[in-house]
Amino acid sequence: MRRIAATALLLALMAGFGAGVYRLLDSHRSRTLPQAESAPAAPGLGPVLPGTFYLAQGGSIYQFQKGKFKKLTPAEGWTQPAASPDGTRLVAVKRGFNSSDLYLLGTDGRVMAQLTHNLSTVVEYNHWAFFPRFSPDGNSIFYSYDAKDPGNSYRVDMAVYAMPVGSLKPVARPWTNPNQYTGGDVSPTPLRAGGLVYSKFAADADGKVFSQVWIQARAGSPGLGLTRAEDNCGQPAVSPAQTMLVVVCHPAKDVSIVETASLDPAGYSAGPLQPLVTAPLVASPAFSPDGLSVAYFAPAAPGRPFQLWTAALAPAAAGGKLPAPRVVGPALGWDSGSAPVWV
Amino acid sequence: MLDRQRLATPEIRRRSGLRERPPRPRLLPRLALVLAGFLLAGAAGAGAYFLPVLTTTVSAVGTGQIGSVAGIAAGGDQPFTVLLLGSDDDAKFPADAVLTQSMIVVRVNPATKQVTMLSIPRDLWVTIPGRKGKAKIDTAYQLGGARLAIETVETNFHIKIDDYVWVGLKGLIHLIDRMGGVDVNITNPVMDDFYPSDIDVKNPYGYYRLAILPGAVHLDGAHALQYVRSRHGDLRGDFARSERQQQVLLALKGESKQVSLSDLPDLASAFNGELKTSIGLDRVRGMMAVAGRLGTSGIQQVVLLPPYTNPQMVGDQDVVIPNWPLILPLVHQSFP
Repeated sequence: MRRIAATALLLALMAGFGAGVYRLLDSHRSRTLPQAESAPAAPGLGPVLPGTFYLAQGGSIYQFQKGKFKKLTPAEGWTQPAASPDGTRLVAVKRGFNSSDLYLLGTDGRVMAQLTHNLSTVVEYNHWAFFPRFSPDGNSIFYSYDAKDPGNSYRVDMAVYAMPVGSLKPVARPWTNPNQYTGGDVSPTPLRAGGLVYSKFAADADGKVFSQVWIQARAGSPGLGLTRAEDNCGQPAVSPAQTMLVVVCHPAKDVSIVETASLDPAGYSAGPLQPLVTAPLVASPAFSPDGLSVAYFAPAAPGRPFQLWTAALAPAAAGGKLPAPRVVGPALGWDSGSAPVWV
Repeated sequence: MLDRQRLATPEIRRRSGLRERPPRPRLLPRLALVLAGFLLAGAAGAGAYFLPVLTTTVSAVGTGQIGSVAGIAAGGDQPFTVLLLGSDDDAKFPADAVLTQSMIVVRVNPATKQVTMLSIPRDLWVTIPGRKGKAKIDTAYQLGGARLAIETVETNFHIKIDDYVWVGLKGLIHLIDRMGGVDVNITNPVMDDFYPSDIDVKNPYGYYRLAILPGAVHLDGAHALQYVRSRHGDLRGDFARSERQQQVLLALKGESKQVSLSDLPDLASAFNGELKTSIGLDRVRGMMAVAGRLGTSGIQQVVLLPPYTNPQMVGDQDVVIPNWPLILPLVHQSFP
């Protein structure tokens, strides 16, 4: 009897050992880190920074002010907000399945007007509208739009257009002439002097597409590059005083650099690029309201969600070193293609 | 009493009613038996855990057709070559008779930490072994599965393939989702007004519009598939797509550093029949160790742009004509 009991006990122990091996292996499984989808609406999630941020995440626009996040819009494809010069309105993209449209919003997220009407029941008759920016006088909106090529339905290149705000029947006017089959011209920033800074995509002799920051004086004028082709720079933002430029450059594979340069809008020129942040992936830089810092998105580690960072442009004391960039808030998985608005 | 028992013969014991004491069992064999039992139980536990991986690798091409990579299994430094195949396995095609939209040959040399990725244009006009005339290389898999696809690459490029991995559309989506997504830098807007709408739909011939905007982004599986599959709006069509495929593969290699052997069952079950490979579990372990040692500096990416190839019309087909006198020396620099 004792022998039977001992055997049964041993068998039970063996079965337990087998199950233990299974559990041990299971415990070593890495938990894939999901991108944060929960609303960062809980108060006190971030440090107190001067000014107000507008950020996009998971199809919603959030306001970040005095260390608190506030959800302004439901998760309905909202992205790429931009603030009016007086800070009282926002223009943002609402992205659908085959099209996207621009909307005028209050700073509380309330929809004031739909500015474009790009939806069609025929798939290829839809249009995209992205990267909206107010003109310095607040009367126009510059954005990227895909006009159709009647000669080739496969060609979809975005050009920068400008449309008046407040007009009953606004007519959008093309500003730029994109290079064919490159994706076109994106990220426009209109200048007080009347010109326009934007990202232009072009192809080299081998057909490899690269990006250049471009400046153009008027609608339809030829324009010229502010950065060199080999630096492969894009995503420009202009400082509030319009004397500085911040861009993201990819001079080599797996290298992204947030770089700054002096800007002379009247002379259509920029100074040499100065590296600010180097990392495998950085995106969508924007200046602080005082022009002394830059906000941008980057993952804290490879494969992690994109977080909001700020980097000072000058040391705290004369002759000192630049302080290291600091992360703002927890890993919330911000929409890295939607530049932070800092007003 | 003890003396009587000890001195009595078996016959005396039987007659006198004395009971015979059983011989004392040896301790060592019993211990060995118990140990073996525990080992078996542990193996059963591990087997149950890795069952999804084992069932995935069962669909391999029979061994003997493809060279074995013993060096990897042993965690050694022997170079190996893997053919990666990707197919549009949607409802437009019968199961197991699909074209390969993506063919990438990867050569890994663990000793030198060198990786070479060679993208083969899907429309490359080649000889398919056992077939008359020439055909697009993407038909090889449709005609004869992985075995013929491998044979076609080996015959035309004069290289030796050790193993293969085939993945379908949903397999790639699920893999990337299980890995938590993938970070990539979108180099230029990827715009496509005719992107195929053929996954989990009634009409696999539909299409929709795509706009993947430039910049560093985190992509989930569905968006990553769009990025590597779109080709209509790009200046270099299939060649640019090949570069994007290599880019996402390298990004996945980076993400895989967070993946351990214990994650394999999860990943294997994510494929749900959308992955076929000749690589067994033992070699996956070795390969993961090798991948962890590789940096990005030793990675060479090869896309057979003109003048290595020349797009042409043959009959009513858009094909890519190979320039073998240029291709073969290039390939043999990295693929002996």
